[in-house]
Amino acid sequence: MPESRVLLEDNIGKRVLLLGNEAIARGVLEAGISVVTTYPGTPASEIGDSIAAIAAEAGLYMEYSTNEMVAAEVAAGAANCGVRALSAMKHVGLNVAADMLMTLAYAGVRSGYVIVTADDPECHSSQNEQDNRFYALFSNLPCLEPSDPQEAKEMTISAIEISEKLELPVLLRTTTRVSHTRGPVVYGKLVKPSLKGTFIRDLKRLVMVPANSRPKHGVFLKNMEKAKEISESSAYNRVTRGGKSKEFGIISSSSAYNYAVEAADLLGLDANFLKLGMTHPLPERMIGGFLKLNRRIVVVEELEPYLEMQIKAIAKDYAPNVDVCGKIGKLYFSREGELSTRAAATGLAEIAGRKLPIDFGSIDKRHAEVAKGLPRRPPILCAGCPHRASFYVMRRVGGEEALYPTDIGCYALGIAPPLNVGDIMICMGASLGTAQGISKVTGAPTIAVLGDSTFFHAALPSLVNAVYNNSKVTLAVLDNATTAMTGHQPHPGTGLTGMGSPSEKVRIEKVAEGCGVKYVKVVDPFKLKEAERVLREALQQHGPSVVVFRAPCSLVDVREKRRRGIKIVPCKTAEICTNCMACIKLLGCPALIIEGGKVHISESLCTACGLCVQVCPYKAIESGSAGQ
Amino acid sequence: MKEFNIVLAGVGGQGTILAAEILGVAAVKDGLNVRVSEIHGMAQRGGSVTSNVRIGERVLSSTVMEGQADVLLGFEPIETLRNLRYASEKTLVVVSDEKIPPTELAAKNIAYPSMDEIVEKINHVTKRVVIVETERLAKKAGSILTRNVVLLGALTATGKMPVKTESLMEALRELAPTKHVEMNVKAFRLGYDYVKKRA
Repeated sequence: MPESRVLLEDNIGKRVLLLGNEAIARGVLEAGISVVTTYPGTPASEIGDSIAAIAAEAGLYMEYSTNEMVAAEVAAGAANCGVRALSAMKHVGLNVAADMLMTLAYAGVRSGYVIVTADDPECHSSQNEQDNRFYALFSNLPCLEPSDPQEAKEMTISAIEISEKLELPVLLRTTTRVSHTRGPVVYGKLVKPSLKGTFIRDLKRLVMVPANSRPKHGVFLKNMEKAKEISESSAYNRVTRGGKSKEFGIISSSSAYNYAVEAADLLGLDANFLKLGMTHPLPERMIGGFLKLNRRIVVVEELEPYLEMQIKAIAKDYAPNVDVCGKIGKLYFSREGELSTRAAATGLAEIAGRKLPIDFGSIDKRHAEVAKGLPRRPPILCAGCPHRASFYVMRRVGGEEALYPTDIGCYALGIAPPLNVGDIMICMGASLGTAQGISKVTGAPTIAVLGDSTFFHAALPSLVNAVYNNSKVTLAVLDNATTAMTGHQPHPGTGLTGMGSPSEKVRIEKVAEGCGVKYVKVVDPFKLKEAERVLREALQQHGPSVVVFRAPCSLVDVREKRRRGIKIVPCKTAEICTNCMACIKLLGCPALIIEGGKVHISESLCTACGLCVQVCPYKAIESGSAGQ
Repeated sequence: MKEFNIVLAGVGGQGTILAAEILGVAAVKDGLNVRVSEIHGMAQRGGSVTSNVRIGERVLSSTVMEGQADVLLGFEPIETLRNLRYASEKTLVVVSDEKIPPTELAAKNIAYPSMDEIVEKINHVTKRVVIVETERLAKKAGSILTRNVVLLGALTATGKMPVKTESLMEALRELAPTKHVEMNVKAFRLGYDYVKKRA
């Protein structure tokens, strides 16, 4: 990430390499957005993180909210007092905020409010690859889709303008390849944030009781007509290439547009291009006109046929004889995973009856031969990760008999052998809820696993449910004092806010007690015997129990030690090691490697956590020093 | 130059993202158009990671197509093999000798392949291979964490990069942790000299 100063530079015309998410953060500064709320989630995290690094200096307010719903509520509150706001979340985060979104569309906002939804085609770091453009259609809110970092910045500013014109929140929808692509961004003028808001009481407008919301539905449908006119004249919707031939018209948006242009060039296809940047509502007349100019229309888009579906409907009115193809009917482009220039070129070649100039088949074949039998390298828990110790304890106590619903976070990696902890994982907070249903009907000992940040995000209602309905489940909170997976953001349990100021630490054990859980214990997962004893006791309770496994994230811990100049002396296998491999078979720690046929501990990876020292049946591993 | 494609392949935690960013910033300093793509989040936890850098006036997409890499910068031998799909006989492979055994190898008690075996496999695709003793050089510079910069120095010394060496150095100074700028500059030089001496 560039120094925070780079984002703050008041230097119009300066060209800087920015990540798509950093470009959105710069857009915040150029749009005069003064309140930024977020819950971290890949691929959206760097938007909030970039703002957190500069918020105090820039004079705006940012917060890591407990979840996306709260983030939307806080921002909508501010935006209804005349202060510009933005919320950033990953695609599935918008599911959490959806209740707010659907009715905020009725109430609207008094000043600009942008909701960034960062989708993750290919599930690089997500549990699904839902296409959130449908939220725009569903909620009837305007949606902008940038294709690169420069547009990401510009559209953040435009989204605020559109939002204020229509008095509606606006969705800014990115994908992994927009949020996590770096590209040159040209700086514009900084607009001074203003945190001073005033609330104007207006019941008809803001209190969505039936009598008020009923007429509001009609009001905002009328508003969408205005939105359509904005879309018709938007510079983001434009013909970017006019070919000589009238044979092919290609309509595309977001990073799919980049692939489509490169694919057409690769094939030497003389096509007309309509690029859509405002994808809800669609510019019907503009699209209709484009359809009439071409004999065949190809819609190139990632994930679902969101555009194609609507373009087919527009074609029915404007150009019933033009052939529209993409993903409906014959599938020229996949609905699954990420699109690529190769995939776009393959589909276009088939449609146009061209031959691909690159023989991908032989490249694939040659690579399959070279890479045959290559060991896989899936993501795993880091060396020294306290979750490994927690999972080892769970396996020792619960064994094969227990069931382990798990959750969203690093600890989802516990499913890998040899730890094998994790039997069902759906969405944030679902471990504790599903655990209750599972335990009720199987009677099996059930240990729900979730992390500290996830506990605050989504587990509180289900914890209260467990107490209220006396569910026999054990909640294991793997508390590593950070939101690790998304880049170590603070959360309510850390005593630090997004602005970098100290705050009250919300104690997980106190929350659990307050909810009425009778058995609540905190353990250090690296103290194996004690942790095992406590977990065993927890499983014997007749109602819900909570065990907090508390030890800091090893990445944060090692980084902190390095900063303080503390030397970590790694653990070492001793002469008496029999090479029984128990440590490797039980723990799967990446620092445990085989060298010259012998178990060896990697000096660069070992954090001296001492877990392997404890599990070695021959006491053949010498403790290192973690420098505590 | 029509376009110049670099694929960086390694293991989460090796600094591929920062290396790609340094290349991107250097390209911007030279007034070039560039796209860098990276993967964050879950995939980073000790798993295979790749970053792409694409430089060129008409470049729009941030990902490199199969067989189209001009350079494959391998931070780890096995990961280099895994990403050979992006290489062709024209590709220059600059590969680090730092082996990070996947846990699967230990679990199955299989030995990590030798560098000779690795190079033999790379040679099925391209004969243009430069091996860099990254681990030794990075430690000599002061920390194994400078491995990414050693590799950048080595890549620069091959003379293939379409960006100025001064721009790369400037980008490095801007992006390296403030306290460790000199260590990183030293790492860059060690990588650079290592390849120059062998050329």
